[in-house]
Amino acid sequence: MKKKIGVYICHCGGNISDYVDVEKVRQAVENEGGVFLSKTTMFACADSNQKDMVSDIKEKQLDGVVVASCSPKLHLLTFRGVAERAGLNKYNYVHANIREQVSWAHSDNKTGATEKAIHIVKAAIAKVRNAESLEPVKVQSTKAVAVVGAGVAGMRAAIELAEAGAEVFLIEREFFVGGRVSQWDDLCITDETGKELITRLYDRVMQHKHVTLFTGAEIVENKGSVGNFEIKVKVTPRHFKLQCSGGELQKAIDVCPVEVPDEFNFNITKRKAIYHNYPSEYPQLPAIDMKTCTRCGKCEAVCNAVDFSQKTEYLNIKVGSILLATGFDPYEPPKGEFGYGEIDNVITLPQFKRVIHYNDKRLIWQGKEVKNIAYIYCVGSRQLNGDNKYCSRYCCTSTIHTAITAKNKYKGIHNFHFNRGIRTYGKAEVRYDESSRLGDVYLQSFEYDPPVVEARDGQTFVKIKDVLTANKELEVAADLVVLVTGMVPRKDNSIAGLLKVPKGRDKFFNEIHMKLRPVETVIDGVTIAGASQGPKNIMESMNSALSAATKSFSLIDSGELALEPTVAVVNKEACEWCGKCDEACPYSAFEKVEKDGKMIAKVIPSVCKGCGMCLPVCPSNALELIGLSDHDVESMIDVLIEKDTV
Amino acid sequence: MAGGKVNNSPKILVFSTEKISDPAIDMAGLLKLHYPPTVYTIPVPCSSAIKPRWIMHALEQGFDGVFIAADGTDCPYGESCTTKTGEIVRETMEQLKEKGMDPARLKMAAICSVCSEPFVKHVKSFAEYLGKEKEVNAVE
Amino acid sequence: MQQENRKLNFDVLVVGGGIAGGESALNLANLGYKVLLVEKELSIGGKMILLSKVFPTLDCAACITTPKVSEIARHPNITIFTGAEAKNITKKGEHQFEAVVLKKPRYVVVEDCTGCQLCEEACPVSVTDEYQYGLAGRKAAFIPFSIASPRAAAIDIENCILCGACERACPTNCIDFTQTEEEVLVKIKSVVVATGFNLFDPLKIPRYNYGKAKNIITSMQMERQLAPTRPYNTILRPGDGKMPDNIAYVLCTGSRDKSIGNPICSQICCMYSIKQAQLLMGALPMADVTIYYLHIRAFGKGFNEFYAQAQDMGVEFVKGKVGKITEKENGNLMLRYEDIEAGVVKEAEHDMVVLSVGVLPNMEISESFKTEKLALDPFNFVNQSDVLASPAKTSIEGVFVAGTASGPMDIPDSILSGGAASAETTSYLRRASL
Ligand SMILES: Cc1cc2nc3c(=O)[nH]c(=O)nc-3n(C[C@H](O)[C@H](O)[C@H](O)COP(=O)(O)OP(=O)(O)OC[C@H]3O[C@@H](n4cnc5c(N)ncnc54)[C@H](O)[C@@H]3O)c2cc1C
Ligand SMILES: Cc1cc2nc3c(=O)[nH]c(=O)nc-3n(C[C@H](O)[C@H](O)[C@H](O)COP(=O)(O)OP(=O)(O)OC[C@H]3O[C@@H](n4cnc5c(N)ncnc54)[C@H](O)[C@@H]3O)c2cc1C
Ligand code: SF4
Ligand code: SF4
Ligand code: SF4
Repeated sequence: MKKKIGVYICHCGGNISDYVDVEKVRQAVENEGGVFLSKTTMFACADSNQKDMVSDIKEKQLDGVVVASCSPKLHLLTFRGVAERAGLNKYNYVHANIREQVSWAHSDNKTGATEKAIHIVKAAIAKVRNAESLEPVKVQSTKAVAVVGAGVAGMRAAIELAEAGAEVFLIEREFFVGGRVSQWDDLCITDETGKELITRLYDRVMQHKHVTLFTGAEIVENKGSVGNFEIKVKVTPRHFKLQCSGGELQKAIDVCPVEVPDEFNFNITKRKAIYHNYPSEYPQLPAIDMKTCTRCGKCEAVCNAVDFSQKTEYLNIKVGSILLATGFDPYEPPKGEFGYGEIDNVITLPQFKRVIHYNDKRLIWQGKEVKNIAYIYCVGSRQLNGDNKYCSRYCCTSTIHTAITAKNKYKGIHNFHFNRGIRTYGKAEVRYDESSRLGDVYLQSFEYDPPVVEARDGQTFVKIKDVLTANKELEVAADLVVLVTGMVPRKDNSIAGLLKVPKGRDKFFNEIHMKLRPVETVIDGVTIAGASQGPKNIMESMNSALSAATKSFSLIDSGELALEPTVAVVNKEACEWCGKCDEACPYSAFEKVEKDGKMIAKVIPSVCKGCGMCLPVCPSNALELIGLSDHDVESMIDVLIEKDTV
Repeated sequence: MAGGKVNNSPKILVFSTEKISDPAIDMAGLLKLHYPPTVYTIPVPCSSAIKPRWIMHALEQGFDGVFIAADGTDCPYGESCTTKTGEIVRETMEQLKEKGMDPARLKMAAICSVCSEPFVKHVKSFAEYLGKEKEVNAVE
Repeated sequence: MQQENRKLNFDVLVVGGGIAGGESALNLANLGYKVLLVEKELSIGGKMILLSKVFPTLDCAACITTPKVSEIARHPNITIFTGAEAKNITKKGEHQFEAVVLKKPRYVVVEDCTGCQLCEEACPVSVTDEYQYGLAGRKAAFIPFSIASPRAAAIDIENCILCGACERACPTNCIDFTQTEEEVLVKIKSVVVATGFNLFDPLKIPRYNYGKAKNIITSMQMERQLAPTRPYNTILRPGDGKMPDNIAYVLCTGSRDKSIGNPICSQICCMYSIKQAQLLMGALPMADVTIYYLHIRAFGKGFNEFYAQAQDMGVEFVKGKVGKITEKENGNLMLRYEDIEAGVVKEAEHDMVVLSVGVLPNMEISESFKTEKLALDPFNFVNQSDVLASPAKTSIEGVFVAGTASGPMDIPDSILSGGAASAETTSYLRRASL
């Protein structure tokens, strides 16, 4: 039982003290059993207060500490650190959340908030009174990282990790690397094309002996946790031998009778079941899409590199950390949205980029030359009624860039931009300015009054009430309507479920904290990068990829991890091995051992995750979780139910 | 006691989960979504770690209700969580019935990490129910 | 002044102790590299430590910055020089740099100062406080602000009259007028440039009458009024101390304006103005807030939702270009603006105007590089030599850039950019040891 507990109650610069009378809270708890010192402070987390706490703990020999401030998700570790620096074992620290769950939640009721804060601080004191010093459980961690997705973000992260000294497994679901960027020709910001950038990154990936690239590969199973994830990777064969001479390959493609829409070109062209995306892609080896291949054997007959005997392989790999860079999908408008799928000269921006790629001298769509292009912005983003409330960030800039490209590449192009307020943020603003100078026409509406696309008399019209000309109704006859589709999460994002990575309101992967821990997830050891976390352009994807690589690497760098010692323990007297705990534990953390002539359960601390699933199943109540014992919980309950003091 | 409006609201103990529902409850505060200040939380690692005896203890000591903000299918410790938490609720309700206590004083709902609004709705309607029960009991 | 020469060795020199430089320094220190962090101001934390709450989550800026700052301050692998500037940075070869760091005297022994503020009380000289962006006064002996790191006094020698009052008041005798400027020669293996941005000075747009009309303030001044470490305990018009109830924001002040030489968008001012508007609605429930904008750049994660939230709260958004601001006798302000939706020029009266000033490059650091030139981009930010594949790379191998030194960005992006710079530095340093 502790006798010298220090209690610190934070104003949080008004965030708390505007609604909770912190001085009253202090007075209410100063005479609680074991409390030796109680203080209020403007910012508990500020360096000066931390220093004060350290000297209090040292000088007054405090044996337990409570800070009542913001959520423990923000500062539990901060104050545990304070305890440690003062020489007090950090498990003698208990955190009380009186901001998120008190002052902010009850800003409408100051008396109630103050009362609740008092109870919560008392409960924390009750808990710290029983607290014991604990030592972390040390585990070896594997100095390897699995990077999922070989788009620009994944490849860049893989390079960085390898250069820092980690073993890297780069796992790409498609048969070819590069992700979305390989689908774009010219990019904004620089003169480099998407393919050139991918080539550059791929070369660096392949140079590294510490990067192993798997294509056609996916994680299908995951066991273990930070430091030691055991993943199972399913590698689908491309049914091609490594060596093959180009001539026969083209023959094989020619003879393949199966034609399917080519997703690489966003279905504006078709490809065969045996295919490659573009001539110089990586790896430079075609693949057979077994989902559509009819096994007719025609390709095998003309090309001896085709190999139908290759089998799906499953590899078990052990890694210390997993970095997710699975990217995004372009929004696919439902049939009828702005005429998409109904009027044949309505296409999406990604499709338009492919159309430009395939048209050299003149811009032709469906046999007709295109002169007037109407771009409709924010399709699938900034939805008033749909789920996608967010702005997709890249698209204003990318559309303007593409419009300028079209104008420079073909003669006589007129661009009409039907936007909702152009968001060429930062340096991209000069592109917007440039396009205006080139004569592009901008027409604007708001979310609630979008433009309308109509097919009439063999022509397609886009109509808008233009904000920029005092809401005049204007109409443009367009040869091509380009829907500026936003970014949405990958359709198949099952990897999130497999790894238990949470998603945000926008359904992209969610970070723990946008500013404090922007590339980490609540699942220890799993980091996120690139557009899988939310819309990003390439530079922003790179920054997050490099940051995530740093975080993943620092986890595994030392080869050893200190894990939380808050694991389950078995009461040897009470346990009568029935095996129920063993059944309940999702991690197989139990062993059956003999002790004093009877069989009992034993917990392996490095395997136990401290989930507590075993606790309620034990018929003899022989299991407790350290830090959450019956005594801990029940003494907190006893205090929380006490009568109000104010 | 001075008639603060607070003290009449039923006291509810919420068992939240550290990684999933507690962040949602935090966010309810961040978004200033109000709920009665007589709602207290004790975070646990996972909703299938809650011992029925803790729930019984809370209800017997004077909490009007216990709300389990369960991990649901989002549980970082595996899919078995939903059934396990369900089992805990079933078992506790049985104990309540045996003791002649209203099993509706225990409530459970899955609260995902961004389910702030559903959380507030749940505790508000639970508080309303418990408040009515309290009145009825007071009259009796 | 006497000069003293010292020689020190580190792995990395990080120039600039804002959030971006801080993030880089921490990542590198956590991997075991020895870091020297040089900060020009008296406290680390950059602009962020002085902000109120931050978009789009509305966390309080101090709550996020202070723990990072204190983690940096006590990290065994990080040495911090505040009140210091990196002057001559020369590249001697790959993984060999030398820098001369000029440490200005603080006239206070930081280790001994307890931050008791007795010197402040004793000092008879009052001047305007630059950390409150001129909204309040401070003494010549002063602690920069309450959450500064280090939280220690400093003597503003330019305004000090050498009366010695502070020296007598100090209980720990930590005031030391014999301190002199020090030049420290440091040897490092690589450099991270995180020197941040400058704010646009609205005096450059005379038609807005900033500086003349008292109730026109900049967004940074409003930020200080809203911050927990604010100068007044509420929101006031500086002209007469009245609580405003009809506040206007003028966006794009000093941005997207070729006439003042800055064609680019500052990328943060739309969002911080929307944030301030929301905070004002909270602090002054009766007040009207109108935002005059050209385009609202609510592009990042959660931003558009944040914008919608402001509209729902009743913040007025007017698509309009403000031409001129004039002061009325009662201190109120007349805004002449082109209402773009209506297509006419209108006038509106407000009792306080906030100019949402833009982000300008801080170019001085490029002059510190002596042998090889640190190239700047067309807008005078540090040039990113491989912006698509290695955004932190600069024109000099071994010198990396972090945060707003390379262009406008918000805090999350600055932190990611800081992370990227530390990653590139790590692999550069690793090549040295191979
Ligand atoms: C039309 C358009 C134009 C654009 N133009 C530009 C531009 O000019 N400049 C610019 O800076 N940005 C541009 N962008 C943005 C750019 O495309 C993105 O920033 C970039 O693609 C993000 O890279 P990423 O690696 O995060 O994701 P992606 O490119 O989507 O790559 C993700 C990779 O992960 C793989 N993957 C997904 N799930 C799994 C799984 N479960 N297992 C294994 N692998 C998986 C995918 O197959 C893919 O290879 C544009 C975007 C669009 C839509
Ligand atoms: C009014 C306002 C409100 C804002 N609100 C928000 C918000 O709500 N949310 C958000 O995300 N962002 C916001 N921002 C943006 C945010 O301030 C920046 O993104 C962030 O501060 C950038 O950090 P930095 O480290 O790059 O630069 P800075 O903060 O500028 O830090 C640079 C540091 O380097 C030092 N330095 C400069 N030159 C030298 C030199 N030669 N030698 C040594 N040191 C030097 C400076 O003193 C400074 O400490 C706001 C900005 C403003 C102006
Ligand atoms: S970037 Fe532009 S087009 Fe894309 S969603 Fe945002 S505002 Fe709309
Ligand atoms: S707490 Fe129990 S169920 Fe959970 S991992 Fe540990 S032993 Fe297994
Ligand atoms: S962010 Fe908004 S206010 Fe700032 S320059 Fe860009 S458009 Fe103007």
